[in-house]
Amino acid sequence: MRAACAIVGMGVTAQGIGLGIESRELRAQAVDLALADARLERDAIDGYIHTYLDREDLRYMGLSPNFSVSMMTGGATPVFSILSAIGMIVSGQAEMVACVYGQAQSARVARGGQTIGGYGYGYPTLYGLVGAAATHALHARRHMHLYGTTSRHLGAVAVTQRNYACVRPGTLGYDKPITLEDHQASPMIADPFRRYDCTRDTDGGVAVLVTTAERARSLRSDPVYILGAGTGHNIAHWHRGTVYENHDNIGPAKERAFSQAGMTLADIQMAQLYDPFTISPLMQIEAYGFVAEGQGGPFYADGGAAADGPIPTNTGGGQLSAYYTTGFTGIIEAVLQLRGQAGAGQLRRAETALVSGHGMNAGVQNTWAHATAILGMHA
Amino acid sequence: MRGQPDMETIVRDLGGDPLDLPFWQACGEGRFLLHRCGVCRRHYWPASRCVRHGAQNMAWVEGSGRGTLYTYTVIHHAYTASMKGRVPYVVGVIQLDEGPFFHSNVVGCPLERLAVGQPLRATMIEHESGLVVPVFRPIALVGDHSQT
Repeated sequence: MRAACAIVGMGVTAQGIGLGIESRELRAQAVDLALADARLERDAIDGYIHTYLDREDLRYMGLSPNFSVSMMTGGATPVFSILSAIGMIVSGQAEMVACVYGQAQSARVARGGQTIGGYGYGYPTLYGLVGAAATHALHARRHMHLYGTTSRHLGAVAVTQRNYACVRPGTLGYDKPITLEDHQASPMIADPFRRYDCTRDTDGGVAVLVTTAERARSLRSDPVYILGAGTGHNIAHWHRGTVYENHDNIGPAKERAFSQAGMTLADIQMAQLYDPFTISPLMQIEAYGFVAEGQGGPFYADGGAAADGPIPTNTGGGQLSAYYTTGFTGIIEAVLQLRGQAGAGQLRRAETALVSGHGMNAGVQNTWAHATAILGMHA
Repeated sequence: MRGQPDMETIVRDLGGDPLDLPFWQACGEGRFLLHRCGVCRRHYWPASRCVRHGAQNMAWVEGSGRGTLYTYTVIHHAYTASMKGRVPYVVGVIQLDEGPFFHSNVVGCPLERLAVGQPLRATMIEHESGLVVPVFRPIALVGDHSQT
């Protein structure tokens, strides 16, 4: 199963707040950029996955694939879309699948729609449990109680990722450094999260083209292989009563992904972890086993996730400091790093990457879906 | 002509699940119910199918309305207009003595004295929607006799 398929094209539009471009246009631009990146004509795309709930406008996109599927499992959707693309390719339904995201969040909010941050779900809404910050804060508070994790540890995540964004043009955090004191002085949102622990909705489009490894090699010299992947659902932790200690159900996802890739953690050179809030990469670094349980805070405070640390993490600034593409941000960054296109932020060692996605509860808060993918340059 | 909205409408409008209506109805009578599997006696909240035995033996039974604070957040940012007059407030996850988690407001406790693990008990209050709902208060604050 290792490296059955690869990414041969990627298109990333402008990313930011208030771009004034509608959602389908962001997707269309992203697809055009991905086709140009792969040096392919439009008719090469014979499968289409829209990583959102609504139907796709293929007429507007100027595409004629064998299928167009809309899928949604929150911020895990982008990784799931790539796994689904592999499934469609391996089952003979398509050769070149476009996995596409494009949302104009600011236009939606201007029309009176709710911000992503203001989402509520289920009976806890009546008690004022509104917004993803509040639900993720429940993970953070439990972690603080169990391990002595502090607000300054969370701040270290924010500063680490901002440092990466500072040298990455086109991100929200470009040339805008923050200090730990800035983090500590930022207003409280949902305790223990302050402003700088949280992401902001941004507008932007992304398209990734997935094909067989064989065809990928014929198209370009630097395809990015999907070496392995796995999934795990936090509903299992809900049923066990351990949902707040677990940001995701990474165990089974990790086992399957590394087994498929024939790799161990020591083979991973960077991590691009889903980061709606600062607690998220901190807990995932532990859950994958890069550090012992409870040691995520000190790891970040000691610079462990920085470019010269043991596992550079969210190296483009992540969703916290770069832009929020509901889970594509880590895939984009992994592809840029692996291809050597990360500019001033290029890592010295960049041949393998761990990518995660997370989101969409399954009937009660904090029961998130999760997907892990291992990407690399060598099949 | 329509009078007061019925309880199902209120529960739906609040984001709740009509499956839990027996729970909310019992709150109006001062009782705190839990959903329980008659085979393995495991308690659930919200209404669930038992992960081992399915729906067939699930029934509502009276619970203690007591538990401990498992984790919590203090909401400071008002995402919606209705939150503006309320912040800051505490949303806690209470691990009930019978096992399940229950999200609720923790009241009657100064923010600086909130602590994971503290014992809490349910008190019924009338929500702005008209629904009677449980909120949780500390059972005892050591050295503090001001609690009602």
